[in-house]
Amino acid sequence: MTLFGGPVDIAVWQRLSADFEKTHPGIKLKVEVNDWDSYWEKLRVLVAGGTAPDVFAMDASNYPDWQARGALLKLQPFIDAEPDQLKGVFPISLEAYKTPDGYYGLPRDIQTIALFYNKDMFDDAGVAYPTDSWTWDDLRAAAKKLTRDKNGDGTIDQWGLFAELIDMEVFWSSVLWSYGAEIVDVKNGKTLIGSPEAMKAWNFIAGMVLDDKSIPTSEQLRQFGLDGFQAGVTAMGVSGHWSVPDYVPATFKWGVAPMPKGPAGRATSINSAGFTISSTTQHPKEAWELLKFAIGPHAQEELAQLGFAIPIQEAITASPAYLVQKNAPIDHKLFVDALAYAHLKPVFKGYEEWASAVGDALHRAWSGEVPIADAIHEAVAAGDEVLANNR
Amino acid sequence: MSRRAEEIRGNVIAVALLLTGGIVMVAPFIWMVSTSLKLPADQYSRSLIPPIFTFANYRDIWTIMPFHIMLWNSFKIAMIATFGQLLTCSMGAFIFAVTRFRGRDALFFLLLITLMVPQQITTIPQFILFKWLGLYGTQVPMYLPSFLGGAFGTFLLRQYFKTIPIELAEAARIDGASLLTIYWRIYLPLAKPALAAFAIFAFMFSWNDLFTALIYLPSDMQTTTLPVGLALMQQQYAGKWTLMMAAVLISVAPIIIAFLIAQKHFIEGISMSGFK
Amino acid sequence: MLLLLAPTLLGLTIGVFGSVLATLALSFFDWDMLTPIKWAGTSNYSSLPNDRMFGTALINTTLFSLIYVPLTLAIGFAVACLMNRHIRGISLLRALFFLPVVSSPTAVGLLWSWIFAQDQGVLNSFITVLGGNPVNWLGPKVILYSVVIVNVWGAIGEGMIVFLAGLQAIPRELYEAARVDGATTWQRLIYVTLPAMVPSLFFQGVLSTIHAFQAFDYIYMLTRLSNGNSTFPTLVFSVYRTGFRFFRMGDAAAQAVVLTIIIALFTLFYMRIQKKFGAEA
Repeated sequence: MTLFGGPVDIAVWQRLSADFEKTHPGIKLKVEVNDWDSYWEKLRVLVAGGTAPDVFAMDASNYPDWQARGALLKLQPFIDAEPDQLKGVFPISLEAYKTPDGYYGLPRDIQTIALFYNKDMFDDAGVAYPTDSWTWDDLRAAAKKLTRDKNGDGTIDQWGLFAELIDMEVFWSSVLWSYGAEIVDVKNGKTLIGSPEAMKAWNFIAGMVLDDKSIPTSEQLRQFGLDGFQAGVTAMGVSGHWSVPDYVPATFKWGVAPMPKGPAGRATSINSAGFTISSTTQHPKEAWELLKFAIGPHAQEELAQLGFAIPIQEAITASPAYLVQKNAPIDHKLFVDALAYAHLKPVFKGYEEWASAVGDALHRAWSGEVPIADAIHEAVAAGDEVLANNR
Repeated sequence: MSRRAEEIRGNVIAVALLLTGGIVMVAPFIWMVSTSLKLPADQYSRSLIPPIFTFANYRDIWTIMPFHIMLWNSFKIAMIATFGQLLTCSMGAFIFAVTRFRGRDALFFLLLITLMVPQQITTIPQFILFKWLGLYGTQVPMYLPSFLGGAFGTFLLRQYFKTIPIELAEAARIDGASLLTIYWRIYLPLAKPALAAFAIFAFMFSWNDLFTALIYLPSDMQTTTLPVGLALMQQQYAGKWTLMMAAVLISVAPIIIAFLIAQKHFIEGISMSGFK
Repeated sequence: MLLLLAPTLLGLTIGVFGSVLATLALSFFDWDMLTPIKWAGTSNYSSLPNDRMFGTALINTTLFSLIYVPLTLAIGFAVACLMNRHIRGISLLRALFFLPVVSSPTAVGLLWSWIFAQDQGVLNSFITVLGGNPVNWLGPKVILYSVVIVNVWGAIGEGMIVFLAGLQAIPRELYEAARVDGATTWQRLIYVTLPAMVPSLFFQGVLSTIHAFQAFDYIYMLTRLSNGNSTFPTLVFSVYRTGFRFFRMGDAAAQAVVLTIIIALFTLFYMRIQKKFGAEA
């Protein structure tokens, strides 16, 4: 089995694989862990070279690209034989892995997005902390107040909000949804981010980036290692649960709040990492045993303690294993509650290329090269072309 | 102006210029060292001198990963690869520089072409080849190609060999020396500066080779090499520069040592007065 | 002779088939790495001009190379000439110039982003103190020069090593003779050093061109966007992205072939120049 992660994941999986071998005599498990970039590089070569690992980690966004090309084993027969396996798993987390002829993969953990805020900066500026009744306009007003030139040298050195502006997952998809817009219609090959509702959302974001300058651009953030909230130069940040371990050692006090509401209500994005089995595996039965183990209660409890994500088992998200993480004493329940208003991050074949085309166009708007309306026009055209090529 | 005075004046100007340049060149490295000695909280402080000195980073990285095992793996592979490259590239370079045969220049140009093709595309065909040879999962693909010459080294050494007067080889030929003797007895000893320079490159290429190690070695801490480990560490410690810098410095130390060893030989020629 | 050439020939055969011909062949197929390969004729080439990402990368890389190659050659050569003398402590200086070569691109990338930062950047602090207007070093207009600076900085050490080794092959007698004839330092450089260094210059010229057209590390570190894209995409980046991330190996191979042809043309051009200077290629 191979997966992406860091040294911490190795330690946990060494423990887990020992447990697995104990309860499944006769199966020998070998776990390999690589960092994200290396992982995908290696996986592509191994699978294309006919040496695919039996079980490998998958990201929901990339899943259709692999599934549509026949690299993954169909899990539906196993699930039909043991339907109880999926009981207790958040239904929305399964959505991304459903295809017309059943499942080819299952989720391992979930991510939702929330608003992080730096209490020290709010206190300094005398601004009230974000609440769950905040709207985007409240956020914008607060961000404006929190964007400051502290040392008086004429340039901004503290920004209101750290928000990833290129990739949809952490920020702009949630804003678009909360304005009542949609992102993409895969069935008809249409990129929908240019609708009138969406344009309202874009104008709101552009107002913060270009007029208020309360969201720093990636050029400005590069010197702080890209995460402005972690570096302590932004008062707020939108990010997923994966950031919690990064923020824990911070020297400032911080808290979490739900995403603010838009004209069409509150929205957040849900994405997941999962496990898949190679379509060329020699050991489908054993691989299925391992997959069951990985999404089962014992492994999920251990993984919850890593603190990177929300477990997929509803029962565990309500148990101390997830709610009481001694390293990160924050409101973890908030991330689970977000599932109630979460939208599934769109996944489809050609996703990477689509995101790349849209992201390039957006970047031109944020760097001030073209007006936002032109950039979106360009993004829709480029995105539709990719969708057409991947039908 | 006396010759001695002229030489001294030249040296002073040169050193002044080089020192200025040297500061620009070395500043980032100094900063890496300084960061590795800072507390995590001070990682973005721009002061070159750590507000509080600490060696804890160098201790802590060892608890994250078994660096010594990966260091040893990398070192072993790099030594074998460097040896293979020095031997086989110098052999090929010698032939290209000294002998004449039909199609020699075309063959050489073909060799250069292999250097120009970006390697990304051919990863998968190459993988299938090594798998077919049964070498997937072993360290062999890491150094075997080093024993099959290579465009970079052959090119570098050929260029150097061409500056050695061909009359030397011709005279030896008349005396009845074989090509092998000329290569081993005349060209190799004379090419010490170039061989030393190339040794650094060969060592460095192998030492930094993340991709081959990633694809061919199982990604466990026991068999893999340092670049794979560093990439893994970066996943989790990306924003923790003090730790990353300590790890990076440990990983580049061997190349610096290799450079210091080899550089003695770059300048050896200066004391010799041409070729005897 | 065959014995000495055997490893190279074997390696070359594998290289030609495994990389040159394989890339060429792939460029006439559609292949997504996972499903069977399909014949595509020349469609991968005919669609290249419409690929906007490739077009940008081609322009970026060409402009970059045209500035980078002469600059890195000139500075590397100058440094090597200055270094080529016997002074106590010069070996330490050489080591200083070599250090950028071994510094990790990730670490160095962060540092350069401090230097180039628009608001609190080191470079702009100097400029404002001197009364100038801050420059957006990583912005669309100046990024080309910024990445050239970083790459030249990273490559001087390599050039230095190659040129230093080359300088060792020049017999001292030549300098002595020139000196006796009353040649100035400058004349010695032009008439003694340069002709003798043509082979090294040719090598470094070809290598720098290859480096330039395959430049990636530093540029990516300074221009990376969160979705894995770059604000200054280069050719190898485009090849990698098209092939591996977009599952379009055939298109990527066609791009790689174009890239190879460009470098090969430059190499032939250098050979012409070299011939002009009387040296054999």
